[in-house]
Parts: sequence; structure tokens; C-alpha cells
Amino acid sequence: MAESNPSPRADLVWSLVWIAVGAAIFTGGYTMERLERQHINPYTAPGLVPALLGIGIAILGVILLVRSVRRGGFAATAAGGEPADHGRLALALGLCIVYAGGLVGRTLIGVHVPFWLATALFVFVSILAFEWRDRRARGELGRGIAVAATCAIGTAAGVTAVFQEVFLVRLP
Amino acid sequence: MFDGLVLFGRSLATFADPLTLLLIAGSCLLGIVIGALPGLTATMGVALLTTLTLKMPSNTALLVLVCSYVGAIYGGSRSAILLNIPGTPANAAACLDGHALAQQGLAGRAIGISTTGSVMGTLIGMFFLAVATPWLGEVALKFGAYEFFWLALFGVIISGNLTGNDPLKGWIAGFVGLFIATIGQDPIHAYERFAFDNRDLAGGFQLIPALVGAFGFAEVLTVLAAKTPKPVIHKFDTPLPRLGDVLKYWRTIIRSGVIGTFIGVVPGVGEDVASWSSYAAARRASKEPEKFGKGSVEGLMAAETGDNACVPGAIIPVLALAVPGSAPAAVLMAAMIIHGVQPGPLIMVNNPQFVFDVVAMMLFATIGIFFFGIALVKPLLKVLQVPREIIMPIVFVLCVIGSYAIAQRLFDVWTMLGFGVVGYILRRYNYPMAPFVLGIVLGDLLDKNLRRGLVLSDGDLTPFFTRPISATLAAICLATILMNFAAVRRAAHSVYVALTPWRRVAER
Repeated sequence: MAESNPSPRADLVWSLVWIAVGAAIFTGGYTMERLERQHINPYTAPGLVPALLGIGIAILGVILLVRSVRRGGFAATAAGGEPADHGRLALALGLCIVYAGGLVGRTLIGVHVPFWLATALFVFVSILAFEWRDRRARGELGRGIAVAATCAIGTAAGVTAVFQEVFLVRLP
Repeated sequence: MFDGLVLFGRSLATFADPLTLLLIAGSCLLGIVIGALPGLTATMGVALLTTLTLKMPSNTALLVLVCSYVGAIYGGSRSAILLNIPGTPANAAACLDGHALAQQGLAGRAIGISTTGSVMGTLIGMFFLAVATPWLGEVALKFGAYEFFWLALFGVIISGNLTGNDPLKGWIAGFVGLFIATIGQDPIHAYERFAFDNRDLAGGFQLIPALVGAFGFAEVLTVLAAKTPKPVIHKFDTPLPRLGDVLKYWRTIIRSGVIGTFIGVVPGVGEDVASWSSYAAARRASKEPEKFGKGSVEGLMAAETGDNACVPGAIIPVLALAVPGSAPAAVLMAAMIIHGVQPGPLIMVNNPQFVFDVVAMMLFATIGIFFFGIALVKPLLKVLQVPREIIMPIVFVLCVIGSYAIAQRLFDVWTMLGFGVVGYILRRYNYPMAPFVLGIVLGDLLDKNLRRGLVLSDGDLTPFFTRPISATLAAICLATILMNFAAVRRAAHSVYVALTPWRRVAER
């Protein structure tokens, strides 16, 4: 993935995030149980390293803040980051989360969704959705549906067979 | 010396049965395909294959992973040459001259050069793997808590400094990785840190689902979010490598191999830096620097030798120190631990045969990439033409089931999703993933050894700075950070010029 050069404004926002994250980690580490009742050596307290890492992240956040302000972070308006097609990104993210978080291993309307069915549905819908525009423009929708269906059935059958029968994994 | 040869011979014999040879062939080919497809990186490939090889005997599983790792780094040059898109980040330098050669109708010649360079690079790296690992292992036996603490910090700082183009963001990513490693049971007192009474979180994040998310799911999102044009492949000539290239550019090959291996040894830096460094060194030393970027055989040879030499180089610190030299090597290290192999300074004492097993795996992988790289040029062209919109949903299915299969719990699938989304966002804003991953891997080492060191010294910090190896590592960490300040760089340069009178004369 090509790396972009985010705007100073984006860096400014991120620097505040890192300062907050660092402060939260430090607080979590500092207030963590020190196990004094167990008479442990105080240098082995579980919160010591997270607290130090929290300080480190916050300091690096402050340096990023100073740098972004020097580069005009308050003046810049663009959010920065690599340009992406937000529609395609939302579609990809939505499909992946619905599949992995909402279908795999879930029970819908009182029925457990088998892994193979969830997988076949996901692959079919994803391929079709991302190829839809091109296929329609070329007048190949029927072919696109056939390709998506073949990939969906092949992937569902192949992955289920390999993991369930060969690796003896109890599929979700 | 002879003990090593005997062990190496024994390792070769172990793998020389028909079924294992078939697996070697399959995994090399799969690695090449993974590498050749832009969007599928070596780290992602090795992470996904780790989940596919869980039930295999340990040596067979690791053989598959090593072969696919070498194959992927080599395979990435194919799309770099033919499509001007690096198959893996390691092959970005190969685009410059490889694609220029392809545009001149010499794609076959470019493939031959990249094959020669990759084979020679892996062989050079393999030589150093066999020679340097036992030596480094012996040095590492002198390491105590103080040295291991610095080694972990050194890895994150160097990796943050050299990967990506913004060291500050690299260090932030590394520190966040170190923090993530502290979530779950503390390794000394088994106290639950940042678990919020969640049973799954108390066990901490498993490395493989985290890596599959950061490299796999994040890449799936990246590729699907951007529409990729249909690839245009140029006409090409014979891909057979030429012996004349090896003889003519032997200096470049050796130099790039040594640079690549050395960069591999440096924790978390990886193949992309090795490739660019070898390319830059070749350009500086070349008699024809003006040809670089316009189809230079020497440039392509240097880039491809450097990145493949980095693969065995990155495995050296895995075996000797339990510190990965690159992101795919971090996955490989996790796979070793899953398969019951404990890498680290004691490996040469407890399991010296394993080190030579890995050397033998490298040799088989080299033969594999040489054979398939030349023999399967046309079928690989077909693979390159498969639309990403078809491949990526299937890859995501493997990300899900691969994460789940390790412990058969849905929490790991959520881990993969979470790390994927976070990884995608961080990468969009220029935060490199290598130090982040290295932080997760080295967090435990840093945590345990800082606290052990403090207990041993009763809270006194001086041993962290006065023991020779500690002092050296601390000085390198400090210098790495300070050299990012322009004023320090200028001061260092003027001191350097003052100490080298011949340079002073030249600068006048």
C-alpha cells in the first residue's frame, strides 16, 4: 500500500489522540494493583511497564503536536490521509463485518447459520457487488453472476472440506 | 565447522522424501503466486499459511512457511516487472528497472535477472544463516535482563526509524505495539492487565489473528477500496537466466547479498529497506549510474539480490535472539513457538539441528523458486490477470477461518477484525505496520526484562548503561533518535569531517 503524506491538520488531530491514549495508559498503569499484600518486589509491579509506555506515547504525541503546529496544523483545512473511494471502502468494510461478525457462528431467527452457507453468501455477494458496474457496462451480468456463484460454491466447499475434514477444526 | 556440515547433511536427508519434496514444490509455487498478486504480501501469506499448517508436524509446517516466504519475496518481482506494481513492498525497487526493461520488450530478460538475483541472494543469505546463527547464539548467551531490555527497545526504535518515511510515527506505532503486548496476564505475577473483567481479553491478543488482521484484512480493505485497472502485459522474450549476468555483475551480487543479509539481521527492518539499500549502493558503485531507472540490469539485479538475501538474514536473529528481523519473520517466529520450537540464545545448545534444518529449508526454497520462476512464466501471467475483486473476498474468508482455527474461538475473529480496521486507518495516516507488529512481538521481552533488571539491581539504573553490550545498544538507540534532528546531523557531519583530513581536503 502506498503511503501518503497526511496534512498537518490530520497529524494535529492524531497527536491529540496519542496524548489522550498515552495519558489513559499511564493512569491505568499507575493506578493498577501493586500486589502489596503479596509482598512482591515493588519493581515487578504489573503496572510499571504500561505506565512507562503511556508516558512514552504521550511524549511522542506532544512532539507530533509541536511538529504539526509548526507545519501549520491550525491553518490547514484538509483532513489528509490517502485518498480512497469511500463508497467502495464502506461496502468492503460492511460486507466483511456482516460476514465475520454477523453471520459466522451466529444464530439468526432461531437457526444456526452454517459456516459454508455464510461463506458462500459472502463470496457471492462481494464478487458481484464489486464487479457489478463493470460487468453491466460490458453487458456481461449473466457471466458475472455465474463467475461469482462458481467462486462462492468452490470457496465454501473447499474451505469447509479442508478445515473440517483435513484439519479437524469444528467450524463456527 | 564440520559439525555444522554433518548437521546440514542430516537436515537435507530429512527433507529428501517424495511427499516432502511435493510440499516444497507446492509451497514455493503458492508463495510465488501470493507474492506476484499485488495486495497479497509475504507477511499475509505466511500468517495465513501458519493457520493452514497447524496440524502438520512442526518441521514440515515450518518448511512450508519458509518456502512460501522465500517464494513470495521472489514472486513480487513478477508484477513489479510486468505491471509496474510491486507484488510485495520488498519489490518496489524492482519496478524502476524491471518495468523499464519490460517496456523495451525485454520482460523475459528482466524475469531472468530477477530470478538470478533472487537465487543468488537467498544463497548468500543462507550461507550467513549457517555461519552467523551459531556465533550470534553464543554471543547472546552472555545477554542478561539488561541487554534483552535494550534489544527489545532497539528493535522498535530501529524499525520505527527505517520503515516508512516518518520515524516519529514509526516509534508511536512501535510503542502502541509494545503496549498491546501488555494487555492480558502479566508474565511475572499473572495479574490481569487492562482486561476489564473480560475472560478472553485476560488471555491477551493472540499474535497470529492480530497479524492476519493488520496485514491481511487491512490489505483486503485497501485493495477493495481502490478500483484496479485491468493489467496490461507487455510482449516478452525468453526468461532463461544468463550465466554472463552472474559473471559480469558478481561484485553487485555479493555486495547486495551482504547488504541484504545485514539489513535482515537488524530487527524489524525487512526486505523493502534491504532492496532499496542494495539498489542505492549498486548505483553509487556502478560504472553506468545514468542507466539506473531506465532499465539497468545491474539495478534490477541489486534490488532482487538484496531483498531475497534479507529473508535468511531476518531469520538469523529469530533463531539466535528470538527477535524477528522483518514482519514475515515475526510471523515465522510465532509459528515456531506454536509448533513447540523455542527460538532464542539456547537454541544452539538445546536444538542445534533445527538451525541447520532451516538452512536446508532455504536451499530447497531456492531450488523451488528457480524452477518455478523459469518453468511457469505463462501460467503466472494468467494468475496476474485474475481480478482483485475475485481474489480478495476469498482471501478474507481465509483470514476469518485462519484466525478462528488456532484456538477455535470467535474472539480471535474479532481480534482480526479490530486489528485490521486499526491497521487500515493507521496506514492511511502513514503509520508503518512493521514497528507496530515488532512491538507486539517484543513487548513481553521488554516487560519481563525491564522488571527483572530492576529487581537484580535493586532499582539501580546504572547496569542498564554500564555493561558493555547494554551500553552499546543504549548508545545506538540514542544516536538513532538524535540523528533525526537536523542540528545533531550537522554537528555529527562536521565532527566527521574534522576527524577525516582527506575528506576535509576533498570538500574544499
